[in-house]
Amino acid sequence: MAHCGEGALMKRWVWRSVLILAAFGLGVWLWTILFPSPDRVIRKRLANLAQAVSFQGHESPVATLANSSRVADFFTRDVEVKLDVPGSSAQMIQGRDELFAIEQRVRLLLGSLQVQFLDINLVISSDKKSAEANLTLQAKVAGERDQIVQELKLQLNKLEGSWKIQRVETIKTLSRMERHVQISSSD
Amino acid sequence: MCMAIDGGSEAHSWVRTVIIGRRPKRTALRILVLVVVCFIVFRFVLLPIRVEGMSMMPAYKENRVNFVNRLAYLFHPPARGDVVAIRTSGISIMFMKRIIGLPGEQVGFHHGHAIINGEILEEPYVRTTCDWELAPKVLGQNEYYFVGDNRAMPAADHTKGVAPRWRIVGKVLL
Repeated sequence: MAHCGEGALMKRWVWRSVLILAAFGLGVWLWTILFPSPDRVIRKRLANLAQAVSFQGHESPVATLANSSRVADFFTRDVEVKLDVPGSSAQMIQGRDELFAIEQRVRLLLGSLQVQFLDINLVISSDKKSAEANLTLQAKVAGERDQIVQELKLQLNKLEGSWKIQRVETIKTLSRMERHVQISSSD
Repeated sequence: MCMAIDGGSEAHSWVRTVIIGRRPKRTALRILVLVVVCFIVFRFVLLPIRVEGMSMMPAYKENRVNFVNRLAYLFHPPARGDVVAIRTSGISIMFMKRIIGLPGEQVGFHHGHAIINGEILEEPYVRTTCDWELAPKVLGQNEYYFVGDNRAMPAADHTKGVAPRWRIVGKVLL
């Protein structure tokens, strides 16, 4: 009889512990949903940017304008984009307006574009107002045989509660330290 | 009728034995061990990859499945001629290239030939001719020079160059 009572008490405590643990887990989960960490917010923002940049088929001029504007909204007004990729000379895009114009041109020129950001490594500053992201861009352009793979470094700043990209820079996974020289006619 | 039922029961038992064995618990344990071993091997030791692009033609054709051995350089450094996987910001996408230049060496291209420390490198794996001309450059103490086997394209369009040792994920297995 005493054993039975002890067993029932034990069972009750086990159940209570399980319920407390479940409530704690639910609380933590709700906390992360309601107050997400900067890491989580930035990753979601970058995923949204990749989605905004991607498009299927030619768009109407109004849709192009709206979508380009949506993309530009991910960047600060004084954004700097430094591009240095194989096969073309280094380029610098300065300001959101220039970026917006280029985005519009790209949407008009290309049939479709699918962009993904992979392997995002984030370093967030101690004051949680700025962050640096190192990622790999994978893009598929309609009609192109090969995918575009480019490592990027992004500088993000938190402005008025929203994370905006302030600087984009291409990283050479394989650095071309040497310059291509002209073919010499001798020897 | 009874015989038919017995036959069906026997067949059922035979199928059951083939699929889950005589001891289902032991079979479940074996499957679990196999899953765990596969997970560890294919996640941390042999990374499965699919070749994309043609920069390693003709040795590695497009869409071929291969593996990257992450333990290949545990006891010795990467060697010239090794085909390796080079990480980007992670290992979701990697570059597959051949090592032609080792730390401290001078690497360049002249008349389409790789020149290492002033001498032409014999490259039997290269089947295409090119006219690449790249000024020689001395590699750092921890740097390697990587290039693809397919030299048919202009030098400027071919992804090649220098990367530090930490970028090498492992050696391509097959």
